[in-house]
Amino acid sequence: MAKNSMGSMKRKRALGNFFGYILLILISLIWLFPYFGLLMASFRSYVPEVEYGGMVDYIIPHTFSLDNYRFLFNGETNYVRWYCNTLVISIFVSLFNTIIVLCVSYALSRMRFKGRTFLMRFWLILGMFPGFLTMICLYFLLKQMGLTQAGAVPGLILVSIASSGMGYYVCKGYFDTIPKALDEAARIDGASRARIFFTMIIPMAKPIIIYTALVAFMGPWCDYVFASYIAFGHDKSYNVAVAMQRWMVVGDYQGYFTRFCAGGIVVAVPVTILFMFLQKYYVEGVTGGAVKG
Amino acid sequence: MAKTKDGQKKKNAVANFLGVLGNDIKDIGVTFKEGDFKTRLSFLIFGFGSLLRGLWLRGLTLLAAEAGLLYFIISFGWQYMSKITTLGTVATTKQGRKTVYGDNSFLILLFGLLTIFAVIAFIAIWRINVRVNRNEQLILKNGRTLPTNGDDFKSLFDSNFDKTLLALPVTGIFVFTVLPIIFMICIAFTNYDANHQPPSNLFSWVGLENFKNLFSFGTAGFGGTFVVVLVWTLVWAFFATFIDYFLGIAVAMLINKKGIRFKKLWRTILVMTIAVPQFVSLLYVSKLFANDGLINGYLLKWGVIDQAIQFWVNPTLAKITIIVVNIWIGIPYMMLIATGLLMNIPEDLYESARIDGATPWQMFVNITMPYMLFVTGPFLLTQYTGNLNNFNVIFLLTQGQPKTGNLVGGAGRTDLLITWLYKMTINDTNYRMAAVIGIMVFVVTAGISLVVYNLLPSVKDEEGFQ
Amino acid sequence: MKKKLVSVLLTAAMGASLLAGCGQQAADTTQTSEPAQTTETTEAAPATETTEAAPEASAEVDPAAYDGKEVKVWVAENVVDFTNEQIEAFKTAYPQYAGVNFTVEAVGEGDAAGNMITDVTAGADVFGFAQDQLTRLVTANALEEVNPDYLSAVESANSAGVVEAGKVGGTLYAYPMTADNGYFLYYDKSVVTDPSTLEGIIEQCEAAGKNFYMDMTGWYQVAFFFGTGCQLTYDTDDQGNFTGCNVDYASDKGLVALKEMIEVASSSAYQAGSSAGDAVNYAAIIDGTWDADTVKSVLGDNYACAKLPTFTGSDGNTYQLSGFNGCKLLGVKPQEDEDKLQICDDLAYYLTSEEVQLARFNAVGWGPSNLNAQASDAVKANEALSALAEQFAYTIPQGNYPGDYWTRAESLAGDVKDSFQKASDEDLTKALEAYQADLESYAK
Repeated sequence: MAKNSMGSMKRKRALGNFFGYILLILISLIWLFPYFGLLMASFRSYVPEVEYGGMVDYIIPHTFSLDNYRFLFNGETNYVRWYCNTLVISIFVSLFNTIIVLCVSYALSRMRFKGRTFLMRFWLILGMFPGFLTMICLYFLLKQMGLTQAGAVPGLILVSIASSGMGYYVCKGYFDTIPKALDEAARIDGASRARIFFTMIIPMAKPIIIYTALVAFMGPWCDYVFASYIAFGHDKSYNVAVAMQRWMVVGDYQGYFTRFCAGGIVVAVPVTILFMFLQKYYVEGVTGGAVKG
Repeated sequence: MAKTKDGQKKKNAVANFLGVLGNDIKDIGVTFKEGDFKTRLSFLIFGFGSLLRGLWLRGLTLLAAEAGLLYFIISFGWQYMSKITTLGTVATTKQGRKTVYGDNSFLILLFGLLTIFAVIAFIAIWRINVRVNRNEQLILKNGRTLPTNGDDFKSLFDSNFDKTLLALPVTGIFVFTVLPIIFMICIAFTNYDANHQPPSNLFSWVGLENFKNLFSFGTAGFGGTFVVVLVWTLVWAFFATFIDYFLGIAVAMLINKKGIRFKKLWRTILVMTIAVPQFVSLLYVSKLFANDGLINGYLLKWGVIDQAIQFWVNPTLAKITIIVVNIWIGIPYMMLIATGLLMNIPEDLYESARIDGATPWQMFVNITMPYMLFVTGPFLLTQYTGNLNNFNVIFLLTQGQPKTGNLVGGAGRTDLLITWLYKMTINDTNYRMAAVIGIMVFVVTAGISLVVYNLLPSVKDEEGFQ
Repeated sequence: MKKKLVSVLLTAAMGASLLAGCGQQAADTTQTSEPAQTTETTEAAPATETTEAAPEASAEVDPAAYDGKEVKVWVAENVVDFTNEQIEAFKTAYPQYAGVNFTVEAVGEGDAAGNMITDVTAGADVFGFAQDQLTRLVTANALEEVNPDYLSAVESANSAGVVEAGKVGGTLYAYPMTADNGYFLYYDKSVVTDPSTLEGIIEQCEAAGKNFYMDMTGWYQVAFFFGTGCQLTYDTDDQGNFTGCNVDYASDKGLVALKEMIEVASSSAYQAGSSAGDAVNYAAIIDGTWDADTVKSVLGDNYACAKLPTFTGSDGNTYQLSGFNGCKLLGVKPQEDEDKLQICDDLAYYLTSEEVQLARFNAVGWGPSNLNAQASDAVKANEALSALAEQFAYTIPQGNYPGDYWTRAESLAGDVKDSFQKASDEDLTKALEAYQADLESYAK
């Protein structure tokens, strides 16, 4: 009797798993399909003698070629420059963003000072104001400092890191979980706040540091709206998103679709690989952030 | 009843404020009256007293702040601030073929505001300066010793470490976030649009005219369109948040299910949508669903349909397609979060439920969901407000299309408030209305957050928001 | 308490120094616009004999006044290289400008106007744009009037319609560069055998399972409205303000046009779009000359062009599709420095001269606006341009339209594809009345 029910349970579970696998495979196909299409399009040559670089109604190219990738790197466009711009922005933003977030989080988590709750409430409310509206204002502020057009790359870095302090939630939440007793003990031993911050808290915050840096690093790769607003009319200071968006949207570029796809792949591959390596920390960060709110 | 209570409160607050102000003024008076010449001279030259008392670190800091702010206000700010009430009167003229630009209303407003804040900072530092002198004098009077310069310096890394840490972030946020927001709020009260475009044309204050326009429901008024776009924004955010939430949890549970292998592989596949920049993936997807896109192309070729499915043309279908594509983006994110949280649910809860003969569905409804909802309440709220302002998805997929003559201001059927105001600024340079809508977006977001936040169970149980 | 305040001061000081930095910067930038006085260059312009001698080029030329000036030029991506070459030639023709720094940037003709308006001072000094942006640019004071010295030369050398197109309130604001801003039919000879009727084209596309591309946005929908005899024009004053609107869309003629649009859009072969690079599997596309190469590369030997077809309206009459004929223009930004303005004027005049227009046609196939260039054999032999020229007999010159018109017309296009498909005649009449009322409301 018991054996029988065990058997039926097993059969039921096997059946459940079977459907589970089917569902997962289906989901995976749906999730991967656009990337597959993107990759295939990137192998379709734009050279008229070989194939066609615009939109077509088939996925698999008739002949596989690397023409699009060659186009990106043979100096016909500033693609390498755009790529480097984005990389530079990402690295600097990632570095300074992390430092600032750590500073703010430590101050808000560990220290009690006048105006602390006000500051947190105020920043929370500020975040609810739509940022796009302020673009023109930021543009003229940066212009006053000479950080538009030719100086757009440092300008973008400055704007990104200037407001990064408001993104302290996740990191502060993490700091809150580190027992305060550790601090107290160190303080009794005569350690200063700064010393505690640098020698105790930071080493313990490795996962959250990686998470913050990773998220900050990924941001600039998607920044189209603001970057195009700051850099307009100066091809050399575009980032990849701004420059490549033109290939899809601006009418002067006909038959650039496959080149856009190739450029997109070149952008996506390193970011994705980095993300996959650091996925563990990312999960830790978003989960922590979700629970803390 | 409630009203009088509120009134009472307000009165108290006002009285409180006046009291503090009165005390402050009295304190300043006493400082001057009882002060020696060092203190008195400090009223004009910041930090003078401290300098003479040997505390050059704080003295020089105060002095530097005074000099810097004064220099800024006099050499740069005053020319703008003095014109802020009119926003400029000198028109642009021609001398021969040469253009001579007149006042630039935009810069007058922007730098005028900045200068006003500089003046406020100046007054605040002056007050601090007075207090410093008072304290130093009192310490000396009581026969105690003043802290040394070294003590001052060390405190920056210990008891005053918060100031050191926050100085830069707070300045940055002020200049690049607070100032621009105040500026745009001011724009809502001006006539800054295509016909009043600096540097060639002046704009000026118009009071509440733009707000009246927003709430006028005539043919040319923005009222009707605003309501339509607002409703779609709220509906979209609702579906985008909750569908993703539940499906994300479901997928997480599926992957976590006992007996399912290659868990890491499945997760990695899904997570691609987070890693690949959206401007690449979403632009591709938007072409995919076009009338002449691959999906319609293959369905036509295989004979499944004989007329292209109007994914982006039919308004209802377009809205559904956006929500579906958003699932593609949203599930992985939620799946990651749910995976972590599901493991935190105590296993014995399920164990005892199983003994009681509960079905998996009952366990899901009675154990998993309540736990998840409780834990992720605030997160759901931030997701919702985030989706209210989800620019990327709409902008990259449809740019607000399809358009219709029933909506004014260039709004399309799938436009959110945020994409609508973006179009208004970029295409029509209609900043006056965009600023008003921006304020409305803020009111809606902040309103929903406030109301929902106070209803959240996890907030009621725990201590205040931290 | 006292310890705290020191750090508050530090914070403030940091802020203050930052702000002071801005002030400094501002003071600096105001000075940069002054002409840099450098040493006299010995190569005093030997006034070479050029075909394009400027009226006063050889008179008292002082190269030092121009040395080191920065002139920014914005043109469409596909003519960047061409423009760079021409600027080199320009420097040879005008030796006094040898020391001027010209930079050419690829900014699409659509983006150019938007960017100029965002910040006129940071925009290009000389820039190409399509005619529909003219009033917007004039309203924002982003265009300087054409140099009076060149005015009569420009007016007589270019076709009258194009010169008219560059005017707002009687003042010419830009140098005509091309006269090919119109559309016609590209088709696949193997699929479409008779390109003379719209019904025929659509039928053959449907039968072959091929697509027919045509936009119905503001620029294209007038093909139907003007075709049935409706009119839509705006009057402007000197500042680019719209003072009057002449429109009769809310009429029987308008209804015929709208119903034809709806019928075209209901075809399974119909696709909205007018850029060949994004079009898929098409046998016919209504597009302009700028996409000729793309279409040619797709259709190969079956490539053919024709004027727009006729259509039989719901009232049984036959109408010829009309449209706009417009042009692309080269504009000069208002300058605070007369010497620089002179350089820009000379450059814009040079880049729109007969020789350069012809060279541009040879390089990228843009149809010239210059009468002599138009008369050249090479231009006449071009298939796409002849089709366009044929179509231009049925079109009206594109005047000035308010920006709101394009936005509103796009909304109508959205309705045509969707809610109008099942609408009754009464509904459509009402919609046309509302449309007309909106169009009229843009003129004050």
